[in-house]
Amino acid sequence: MSVIVLLIVAGGMVAAGFLAAFAWAVQSGQFDDTCTPAVRVLLEERPHTTQEGIADVDLDS
Amino acid sequence: MRTASLELGPTADPVDRCRHCGEPCAGGAVRTLAGPFCCAGCESVFAILAAHDLDGFYACEVPPGVSQKHAEGRDRSRYAALDDPDVAARMVVYDDGRRARAMFSIPAIHCASCVWLLERLWRLDSGVFATEVDLLRRTIVVDYRPVATTPRLIAERLASLGYEPAITAEDGSAPPPAARRRLYLQLGVAGFAFGNMMLFSIPRYVNGAPLDAGFQRLFDGLNLLFALPVLLFSASDYFRNAWRACRARAMTLDVPIAMGLMALFGRSVIDIAAGRGEGFLDSFAGLVFFLLISRVFQQRMFERIAFDRTYRSFLPLTVRVERDGALTPVPLERVRAGDVVVVRAHEIVPADAVLLGAGGAVDYAFVTGEAAPVAVGGGERVRAGGRAAGSAMRLRVLRDVSHSDLARLWQNPVFARPKRRWLADVNARFGAWFTASATAVLIVACPCALTMSAPIALGTAAGLLGRAGLYLKDPAVTLDLSRIDTVAFDKTGTLTSAAERPAVETSGFAEDAWTLVQTLAAASAHPASRAIAAADHAGTAGQTQAASPTTAAEIRRADRPLRPAPRATGVIDVVGQGICGSVSGTRVAIGTAAFVEAQTGAAPDGPEDAIFAAAGDARGWVRVFTQARPGIERAAAALSHAHDLVLLSGDHQGERSRWTRVFGPRMRFRQTPDDKLAFVRDARERGRRVLMVGDGLNDAGALAAADVGMAVSDDTACMAPACDAVIDGRRLASLPAFLAYARRARAVVILCFAVSIGYNAIGLALALSGALTPLAAALLMPASSLTIVGLSSGAMRWSGRRMLPA
Repeated sequence: MSVIVLLIVAGGMVAAGFLAAFAWAVQSGQFDDTCTPAVRVLLEERPHTTQEGIADVDLDS
Repeated sequence: MRTASLELGPTADPVDRCRHCGEPCAGGAVRTLAGPFCCAGCESVFAILAAHDLDGFYACEVPPGVSQKHAEGRDRSRYAALDDPDVAARMVVYDDGRRARAMFSIPAIHCASCVWLLERLWRLDSGVFATEVDLLRRTIVVDYRPVATTPRLIAERLASLGYEPAITAEDGSAPPPAARRRLYLQLGVAGFAFGNMMLFSIPRYVNGAPLDAGFQRLFDGLNLLFALPVLLFSASDYFRNAWRACRARAMTLDVPIAMGLMALFGRSVIDIAAGRGEGFLDSFAGLVFFLLISRVFQQRMFERIAFDRTYRSFLPLTVRVERDGALTPVPLERVRAGDVVVVRAHEIVPADAVLLGAGGAVDYAFVTGEAAPVAVGGGERVRAGGRAAGSAMRLRVLRDVSHSDLARLWQNPVFARPKRRWLADVNARFGAWFTASATAVLIVACPCALTMSAPIALGTAAGLLGRAGLYLKDPAVTLDLSRIDTVAFDKTGTLTSAAERPAVETSGFAEDAWTLVQTLAAASAHPASRAIAAADHAGTAGQTQAASPTTAAEIRRADRPLRPAPRATGVIDVVGQGICGSVSGTRVAIGTAAFVEAQTGAAPDGPEDAIFAAAGDARGWVRVFTQARPGIERAAAALSHAHDLVLLSGDHQGERSRWTRVFGPRMRFRQTPDDKLAFVRDARERGRRVLMVGDGLNDAGALAAADVGMAVSDDTACMAPACDAVIDGRRLASLPAFLAYARRARAVVILCFAVSIGYNAIGLALALSGALTPLAAALLMPASSLTIVGLSSGAMRWSGRRMLPA
């Protein structure tokens, strides 16, 4: 009997841990956008000049 | 390479398509080595991207760019407003001097390539650290160095790529992140509690033997412990909504849900306290869990369209403001306290203002529901949301305007007339018996059909309809739409379009007299007046000329003064007859022959179907040839198979022959707004379910009285807050498809009920034959819920793809 109580408490704590992790994930914004990350990986980045290399280029000139 | 394959491939496209945006290249096309472009704007964006090694943008199948055809001549200086710290503060969410973060809403974002390009903005602007795109909400968050760049420069850079940020007033349409996160948390808590309670319940389901009394008490206590957060946190929104509905004496779906939840929980607590058993706490938590899943679905569907096609995009966008002696269309959010605005007859007063000049009349039907116009004297105050009745008014604005004011007006509880009439109908037919039994049904039968299929199917339908150009105020309007059997159309501005550039034919006016007539016509918002006011110059007898653009969008694009002084004074507008007034001391009248004769004393002569006008001694007539919207006749013919079509026109019978083929004898001409309202009321009393389609100009009352009032939007300054739906004028021809889709939505809901009842019948049969184990019963419920979710969402999407215009 008592060992089952122990198991229930331990199981409840594990579940509560997952609930807390879920709450943290929600609060840190991981569920704010569930759409864009899926398409972000679709287009590849090709090798290109570094940011510094083009940093001085003025678009309007 | 791409062009070569286009020309040589067996499936070659006969038309060259723009390398940047994929639109066909016609006049104004630019051809370079890189390929054809539909306009110089697209070519320059392509050149910018190529120069910065960003041509990975074009990696996908369809050219992803935003067409620049309509961007030429667009006023880029409007982003100068972002130099104003107050305006910029709406965009900038964080700024510590070294690092800042700004958020822009960009309606043009639409695909993976947009995300790819916009998240590489730092390659184009050295002041930008990083950008993050939210594809669903069409927003972009930019981290930048405030010393190196400014929100204005970033906005201009985005605009130069074709991604024009929308500079709007504060936006209340999307639920703030906090509310969205709260829903996920509620779902998480309910799922957590549901899962744990099922664990405690499994021994009982699997093994019918009674438990040890100690375990029983322990499990009951734990179940209660887990059920409390579900009741107090996860389900709290249902109780709050139900309470609000009760206080407003309205019947919404939340009421039976809340009653069912309370009955489940209360009964379980009593059972446990009395030691009669374990109650239904696991079913309670499961029900809340599945309810919240359907709500997450619904919210996602709504967010998908929130930034795409909200009613906001249908609101009046510009107001005519007097600046430097000329009337200039000014975007609503740039109207400041102290500006003098001119509001034409039937237009909405956008802000609290003081009436200048002589008295006038204002109708506050949109604010108070009272249709009788109120007389307002010069110097008196006019409240926002009033509508100029009869004549144009000059007003001095008392406080700044924002779109949200008008949006709030549309959401005003006054217009929240007994929505969800289908539910009210059921309630009236079955009375308290229904309400009481709904609770019982909720507890006994599987609640999935009632609580999940309707919100998901209707929410999906409303979302997809919104994307196709029909915006519903409430998803439940879908059900009202599905039961329509009579469709009443207004003619002018509905079947015909103000944006189609009506041709104007005049006779009898010299240049200066015609100018007087045009000046008077400018005081009215009637489509015919607008066509006259916008016609290029005085026509000689029989000359037909195309009117210049009349839509607010095109005026705004050109951003030019609309019309210099003089102005018409003492304007009287008699609905269905005409308008008259004085211009530069000359008496001018436009309208029916009888009206012009009554106002000026001499009867003009001309063809029977013309509009007559008199300016001083000059008399003549005007004929406005409004163009029917493309495809509207075919659409009406399609509708007439299953619906009674009625034409309610405020105009003369001149166009009767043109519409006879479609409407047959059911045409009524010379209808005043009251006639239209009476017709709709009468039809409803005879048991018809009426859809009124109008532009809200002379038919606001009829729109409000109909089962579904659908306002046609052409970017004009008229708004009908009492309507249930707004349809994009260009999509009116798709009305038969929209109605068929609404009927499909109802069929799907009914199908879900059938499936749900089927599940229950199988369960019951198994239970009666003794074959149903408690475990099978416990599995049957989530299985039925999942079927309902899949069926209602999947069927609506599948039908949407097949039935709705792209």
